Amino acid sequence: MKSRACKPPALARDATPTPPAVQQDLPFPQAEASSRAGARSYRRAPAAVPVERLWFCIWLPHLPLEANRSSEAATAIVEEQHGIHRILLADAEANAAGVMPGQAANAALALLPTLLLEERSLPGEQQALERLATWLERFSSFVCIADRDVLLLEIAGSLRLFGGLRELRQKISREIRELGFTGLFSIAPTPLAATWLARSGRRVCIRDETNLAPALRRLPLARLNWPAGLCEALTGMGVTTVGDCLRLPREGFTRRFGAEYLLELDRALGHLPDPRDSWRAPERFCADFEMTEEQSDRELLLNICRELLLSHEQFLLARQLGTQRVCFSFFHFKASATELRLGCARAERSAERWFDLLGIRFEQLILPEPVIAVRMRSGMAQPLQAETDSLSFQGKPGVQQRRFSITQLAERLIARIGDQSVQATSMVAEHRPHYAWRSQSLLADWSGTTLDAPAQYVRRPLWMLPEPALLPADSGYPVHQGCRLRLINGPERLETGWWDEDGISRDYYTAINADGRHFWVFRNRNRASPWYLHGYFG
Amino acid sequence: MSSSLDKLLENPRVWRGRDQAAHKAGLASGYPELDRHLPGGGWPSESLTEILTTQYGIGELRLLMPALAVLSRETPVQQDFSEPGWIAWIAPPFQPYPPALQQCGMDLSRMLIVRPGNADEILWSAEQALSSGTCAAVLLWPEMLDDQGSRRLQLAAEKGRSWAIAFRPLTARREPSAAALRLELHSSAQGTCVHILKSRGGRPTVISKLL
Repeated sequence: MKSRACKPPALARDATPTPPAVQQDLPFPQAEASSRAGARSYRRAPAAVPVERLWFCIWLPHLPLEANRSSEAATAIVEEQHGIHRILLADAEANAAGVMPGQAANAALALLPTLLLEERSLPGEQQALERLATWLERFSSFVCIADRDVLLLEIAGSLRLFGGLRELRQKISREIRELGFTGLFSIAPTPLAATWLARSGRRVCIRDETNLAPALRRLPLARLNWPAGLCEALTGMGVTTVGDCLRLPREGFTRRFGAEYLLELDRALGHLPDPRDSWRAPERFCADFEMTEEQSDRELLLNICRELLLSHEQFLLARQLGTQRVCFSFFHFKASATELRLGCARAERSAERWFDLLGIRFEQLILPEPVIAVRMRSGMAQPLQAETDSLSFQGKPGVQQRRFSITQLAERLIARIGDQSVQATSMVAEHRPHYAWRSQSLLADWSGTTLDAPAQYVRRPLWMLPEPALLPADSGYPVHQGCRLRLINGPERLETGWWDEDGISRDYYTAINADGRHFWVFRNRNRASPWYLHGYFG
Repeated sequence: MSSSLDKLLENPRVWRGRDQAAHKAGLASGYPELDRHLPGGGWPSESLTEILTTQYGIGELRLLMPALAVLSRETPVQQDFSEPGWIAWIAPPFQPYPPALQQCGMDLSRMLIVRPGNADEILWSAEQALSSGTCAAVLLWPEMLDDQGSRRLQLAAEKGRSWAIAFRPLTARREPSAAALRLELHSSAQGTCVHILKSRGGRPTVISKLL
């Protein structure tokens, strides 16, 4: 209590993130000064981890190499440091020839002239990591990308399903190896401890929280991914392991090195909660296919699209989703990309069906230049609705089965001639002739609605002109193609529409010409109005 | 005398043109006089019908409406879950007017109107619709239709068990066609008369004042 009074500056500086830690100059709880201020100490903190959690950490030390590897030959990844390309990582074959990390690229080439040097690609590593994270979602509902080369899984909930810790660990490690990655694993009750232990290169499995502190104490500080300056300073003080660190007085440690690292230690030991963000695989599919040289062979391009559609299907299958839209972009060297969009009437994932639609459109696609890369993006994913099919127990042989449903037919038509050109129609309860119906797109969520009671109209023409056509008149009668029409029925007065802008006031007549063609003509109610033709009685 | 003729006809080597089509019942057209002249007593569904006319509005749709109304309302017997027959309109010259169609008894929820951009697409769409097996009837207004095209439509109609109706100008009369039935419509002040130009298993006739 004395010390608290005399050191206000330290308090002020470090108060923000860690109120309990700075307010007391208690040693670490492991030092067990259990008497004083016990009630306020964060030794109560284990309650912050009420549910038992177990973290499986995968450290991928060779990720830069494994993510960007393009051939089987001896490969090394180089990175530019101070203007010189230096080896960052080399594979076993290169190592055997004496290529070591830190060497200049030229020195490495002198040792092994066949060495393939690859520039480090951080986006490539990130992509590989995300791919792995997505893949790991099969083992746990909580996967998190903890660092550039570290993945974390919460496995306490998965143990029973996979038949125990041992089985699960073997399964993950085996399958990661099969995917072509080298991983170092460790299991601990806190994510940070698991990460540190994995980075230390030891295969550790700690299930019990009481075993955590002893295991961490032995850990050298160099494994904690702390800044080099900090580690040097601590080593200079003779503090080389986590255990040494824990023995230091908390307040002094905070003042010298900042509360951040103290809190990190607390999280690793499970005294403070360590919430993590769960990795969520993207709900939209996007994949690229890059070619080494420009291609104009359409057969080849179609095959590439098929590959993309197949991986799209796998992507959707894992999520039980489908999508209604797919877009292909064909990139050219100079010209801007050619786009090809496909639509389906209902959510669909089957690669075969998308490929079918693609085939129809691809025939007509004009590619201005050879293609260097293909990208496929899918639209918003939706829950998939399964289609009801008949069991057909009494399927008679010889009875031809339906080839495809109306939605499939509409999709095929739309794929070739466009969305606006394929329509369904429905009735609208409206007396004005041009509002009495509407057309609907088939890709929208359409349900063919019919008005139940057929409206008792006077007979309507089967053919309607898109816009009424002006007819010349001869002594008060309409004239069509030089022939005077005879009015045989009418007038039928249709008027008003005061509730919108488009009110009408018309007298409709059925007219007939000398050949016996029937017309639907009207004129507006004021007598001087000319005649208009609005339809044919087909 | 008649008995010896009957005996002769029983000989399987004697081929009688009328019998062939007669066992396949046609689709009642709703016009008894027309039905009488058509083999099978109605429209030859599952094949191509051509209607030749120069003008629209002389009853070319009214002629078909009773049969189309029946098709659009009936439910197929064998396929329990599949959708009933749709009617596809491909490249109609004007807008088919839904209130009038409903007056004729058609089910509007099963109408598909397709407006392709060019002659090739018209034919392609018609073929797709016919062979899909979901359309009970496909009406099309082709810009041009040669012998090969009509054969393709006829085959697609047989494959999808669908009724294809192509509307063509009178000038197409001289061109060969694979259609099972070809009709020519002429209008006059007294009414429209139907001229059966070609009818597989039937005979050419003229029915006047049908509509």
